[in-house]
Amino acid sequence: MNIEYSEANSSPAIAQHVQPPVLEAKHLRKYFPLRQVMLLGEKRVVHAVENASLTLSAGRALALVGESGSGKSTIARLLARLYEPTSGVIAFKGEPVKSGKSALRAYRRHVQMVFQDPFASLNPIHSVRYLLSRPLRLHKLARTKKEETEQILALLDRVSLSPAEQFIQKYPHQLSGGQRQRVAIAHALAARPEVLLADEPVSMLDVSIRLDILNLLLQLKDEEQLALLFITHDIASARYFAEDTMVMYAGQTVEGGPSDEVIQRPSHPYTKLLISAAPDPDTMTGEDRRAVTLPARGEIPSLIRPPGGCRFHPRCPHAMPVCRERFPGRSDLGGGHWTHCFLYGEGNLAAADAATKDNASKITVTTRDDQQEL
Amino acid sequence: MQNGRSGALAFAPAPLLEVKNLSVDYLAANGTVHALTDVSISLARGQILGLAGESGSGKTTLGYAITRLLRPPAVITGGTLLYYPATGEPVDILQLTPPQLRAFRWNTLAIVFQSAMNALNPVLTLGTQIEDVLRYHRPEMNREQRRARVVELLKLVGIAPDRIRSYPHELSGGMRQRSIIAMALALSPEIVIMDEPTTALDVVVQREILTELIRLREQLSFSIIFITHDLSLLLELADTIAIMYAGRVVETATCRQLQSQPRHPYSYGMLHSFPSLHGPRQRMTGIPGSPPDLRSAPSGCAFHLRCPFAISACSEVLPTLQHPTESMLDQLVACHMYNPALTGPDLPTNADFAQGYEAAYATRKRR
Repeated sequence: MNIEYSEANSSPAIAQHVQPPVLEAKHLRKYFPLRQVMLLGEKRVVHAVENASLTLSAGRALALVGESGSGKSTIARLLARLYEPTSGVIAFKGEPVKSGKSALRAYRRHVQMVFQDPFASLNPIHSVRYLLSRPLRLHKLARTKKEETEQILALLDRVSLSPAEQFIQKYPHQLSGGQRQRVAIAHALAARPEVLLADEPVSMLDVSIRLDILNLLLQLKDEEQLALLFITHDIASARYFAEDTMVMYAGQTVEGGPSDEVIQRPSHPYTKLLISAAPDPDTMTGEDRRAVTLPARGEIPSLIRPPGGCRFHPRCPHAMPVCRERFPGRSDLGGGHWTHCFLYGEGNLAAADAATKDNASKITVTTRDDQQEL
Repeated sequence: MQNGRSGALAFAPAPLLEVKNLSVDYLAANGTVHALTDVSISLARGQILGLAGESGSGKTTLGYAITRLLRPPAVITGGTLLYYPATGEPVDILQLTPPQLRAFRWNTLAIVFQSAMNALNPVLTLGTQIEDVLRYHRPEMNREQRRARVVELLKLVGIAPDRIRSYPHELSGGMRQRSIIAMALALSPEIVIMDEPTTALDVVVQREILTELIRLREQLSFSIIFITHDLSLLLELADTIAIMYAGRVVETATCRQLQSQPRHPYSYGMLHSFPSLHGPRQRMTGIPGSPPDLRSAPSGCAFHLRCPFAISACSEVLPTLQHPTESMLDQLVACHMYNPALTGPDLPTNADFAQGYEAAYATRKRR
C-alpha cells in the first residue's frame, strides 16, 4: 500500500509558500569552547555546526541525516534551546525566540524533544503518572487532579499504551524499550507542542519495534499536524519517514530537498557515499555478492581544526583547488533540491557539466532495478 | 538426509561445525531464563552463516556457548557441539579438557566481540596486545618473528604498520574494530565468530569493514558465524541464515530462499521491517507487540502472541523445525502453517503474509 501523498506533499516548494513555517532557523552556528588552559595562541573551539538553515512546517517531517559527529544532534538541541547558538536566528511562527526563563518556558511548550535512549530519558524513581503529570502542571494545562488523570489516560491512549489504567501506575523498569519510548513520546506530547524534535527515536530499540514507533510518530504527525524533525543515521528510514531530507557532514549542511529526490538522485559526493554504503539487500545476494567500492575513504575530520572550505574535500574524489579555499554557496537543482558543492555551480555551468559527466564514469552504484548513473 | 530433523540442511556441503539440540539456562534468582532451547545449526566449510534475531533472542549466548566462554549463572543444560577437522575424527567441544580447550580456541575458533571499545586493553599498545596472542600460543616464535607477524596482520586488515605503537584511545572506532579482527585472525583460525562486529560503527565505516571482511575471507578461506540484528546486512553477506526468536531457531534457509520466500511469519515480519532505498515508498506494518520475557515464555510457539496467523494449536503445541514440504530440503521452519494436518496443503505465500500483517496493523490502528 502506498503512502497517500496529500496534494501539498507532491509539490513541496509550493507547500512552503502556502503554509508559513512553524519553526525556522537561519545561519545557525555553534562552537563549543574547549576547556583548556592556553597560554599562547587563540582559544580553541569545536566547530560543531556551521551556518545551518532549516524550516519545519506543520504536518511535515524533515529528516536530518549524517554520521556521528556530523552535528545533527547539536542542531536539535539548538532548536530546543538546550544550547545557546553562537550565532544565528531561530524564529517560531515568524517571531525570533527570546532568551530569558519565562520566554524559554513558553517556547518549550511548543517545541518538545524525544531523545534517543528511553532507558536514560525517563527518571527511574518516578511512576508514569508522575512523569506525565509534570509537563501538565508546569504548563498549567490541568487544573484539578481529576483533569490531570483524564489527560494522562488520554495521552497514554494516544501513544497506544492500553489499557491506560494499567500503565499509569507502572515504573520505567516495568516497561519494555518500546513502551518506554511511547511514554517518552507521550511526555513530549503532554505540553501540546506544535514542533517535535526526535533525536534518533528508534535506534536504541529492537528491530521489530522500530517500525511501530515510526508509524506512531507518523500517525501523530498527520493527526495533530505536528512539525517533525527526525534525526537519523539511517538514510533508508529517512526516506520512509520524512517528506524532506537534509544531509550533514562535519557540521556543514551539504544537500537537501524532497527525500525521494535526494536519495534517488543524490548530487553531493558525500550523499552518494552514504547511500552506496547503506546496507541494501536489493542489490545482490549469494555468490554474486557485490564488491562495493566506496568512492571515498577516510574519516570525519577533527572539528577542532576542521579542513578549510568544504570539509569533505580531503575525502572527496572530485576535490578541486577551490574546495579548499571556501565553502560553496547553495546551488539549486530544481524542485526544491539543493546542494553545496562546486560541482554544481556557482555560476560556472560549463565546468559543472563537465564534472558531472566525469562523475558518471567514476561512481556507479549498481542497483537491481536500474543502473543509476550518478 | 537422514538427520534432516535435527537441523542439518540437505544443500549444505560438509559441515565444519555442528550445534545439536543445544540448551542454555541462566540461573537467575527470580527464575530460570531459558536463553537457548534445543538449538541446532550447522556451519559448512568456507561459508558464512548468519544468525539474526532481536536482543534477547539468544544469538550472543549461542556464540559464547560455541566458544565455551559462558560463565555462571549460565549453564549448558544439554546438547552437543561438534567440530569436524579436515582430517580425523569429529571433536566434541563440550568434552574438551581445559588444556585441549586452550589449544582449540584461537587456533581453530576465534571470536570477535561486540564492542571493540571494551575488547582492547586501554593501557597496552596495539602491538603488545596482538603479540600477546602469539607469545602464548606460539612459544616457538622469537621476538622478531612475532613483530613481523603483527605487522603482517595489521597490513592485512588495512592498518598502517606504524600504528603498532598506538594505544587504543588513539585509534578511531573503525580502526579498533579492524585491529580486533586482526587479533582474531592471528593464528589463522578455521572458524571466526563475529558478534555484532559493526553495530557501533557508522554506515560508511561499517561498509569498509564488511568489504575488508569479504576480501579477507576469500584470501584466507575461513568460515564465519556472523551474529547481528540487522537482517538486511546478512542478506548481502551470508550464505545461510538462521533466524532466532526467544531462544530458538525458527527458520533456517539459504540467503536467496529467505529473501524470495520466507517461511516463518516472524522471518517475513523481520524482512519487512527495514525500509528500502528503492522503489515506491510503502507504508510498512512492522510486527505487533514486543519480544517475550524468557523467564515466562508463552506456551506453544513463543511467537504466537504477536503472530497474525496464530491458530489454537500455536498456543498449545510447540512446532519443531521441519522442511516446509517433503521436497524443500533446503529450508527449515518451525511453524504450524506447514503442518498439513492443521492448516491444509497450501503453503502461505508472501502475498498471504502481507495481507495478514496488513490486517493486524489495521486492527491495531483502529483500537
